[in-house]
Amino acid sequence: MIAQLILTALLFGILFYAWIEYRRAPAVGLFAVLAALGGLYFVWVPAHATRLAELVGIGRGVDLIIYVWVVISLLILLNLHLKLRAQMELITALARELAIANARARQSPQ
Amino acid sequence: MSARRIWVIVPAYNEAAVVGGVVAGITRAGYRVVVVDDGSADATASQAAESGAIVVRHPFNLGQGASIQTGLAYALVEDAEILVVFDADGQHRAADIAVLVDALETHGADFALGSRHLGQAVNQPAARRAVLRAATWFTRATTGLDVTDTHNGLRAMTRRGAQHIHLRQNRMAHASEILHQIADSGLKYVEAPVTIEYSAYSLAKGQTFGDALMILTDLFARRLHR
Repeated sequence: MIAQLILTALLFGILFYAWIEYRRAPAVGLFAVLAALGGLYFVWVPAHATRLAELVGIGRGVDLIIYVWVVISLLILLNLHLKLRAQMELITALARELAIANARARQSPQ
Repeated sequence: MSARRIWVIVPAYNEAAVVGGVVAGITRAGYRVVVVDDGSADATASQAAESGAIVVRHPFNLGQGASIQTGLAYALVEDAEILVVFDADGQHRAADIAVLVDALETHGADFALGSRHLGQAVNQPAARRAVLRAATWFTRATTGLDVTDTHNGLRAMTRRGAQHIHLRQNRMAHASEILHQIADSGLKYVEAPVTIEYSAYSLAKGQTFGDALMILTDLFARRLHR
């Protein structure tokens, strides 16, 4: 029960994160929501997790939950990568303005 | 069109060995040249300036796509009428600039794309040819543009055309991105025959199969966020 509550709290955290990120990266947000909802369902209905796990050849329901968690972690990594790219775009714009302003200043020094 | 209203943009990163000759060849033809030094560690900037180019220096290395966009932005501020993108590694011929400009004017187009397949590719290795064919097939399929050479750095555009280009791919994926933006602009484009002359230097600087995979990754990642 304690583990279920902890996992639920963490998965709600993921849902909140996905909701925030959906506007900036819709694909990542959507996948994270689906993975978190799937995770919540299996945490509270472990019998279904076990049945689904057997169906896809994983073995135990708890393993399936761990795999779902791994998928969520990878999505968060992907999202961090996308954020870094977005920051790079801002840095590029700044560097460009600086480079052009410097070049124009050199062309007309007064 | 006066040659002085034609700006040639040369993105350069650590090209001190060749950039002077490249710039001299372009200025001899009467064109204005802006070399975008992409944070080079060598004497690229001074070599380019001594040969007659205006040099715009990135404070650090950003990539070829970022350099091209910087060059376009600078030339637009300087009231360029026609903007030409030209590689710094010496594999393009300055004489082909006139071919591209003529194609723009003759066809009333906003973009003239150099094509080595309509022109010539001198000393092109077979492996490079195969990678370029695959890239051309991929870009034709994703942009719907009927082009024969998608990763040719020699391109010309009108002022109006350049105002439709906003490259966000800093690295090599810009070559595909610019074609997507041309397709999205709805403006007219033509291909013109140009010659690409591969040398040991340009091949060493050129793209590898690993770079092609990186380009695909960049294009995919770009579609995932706004």
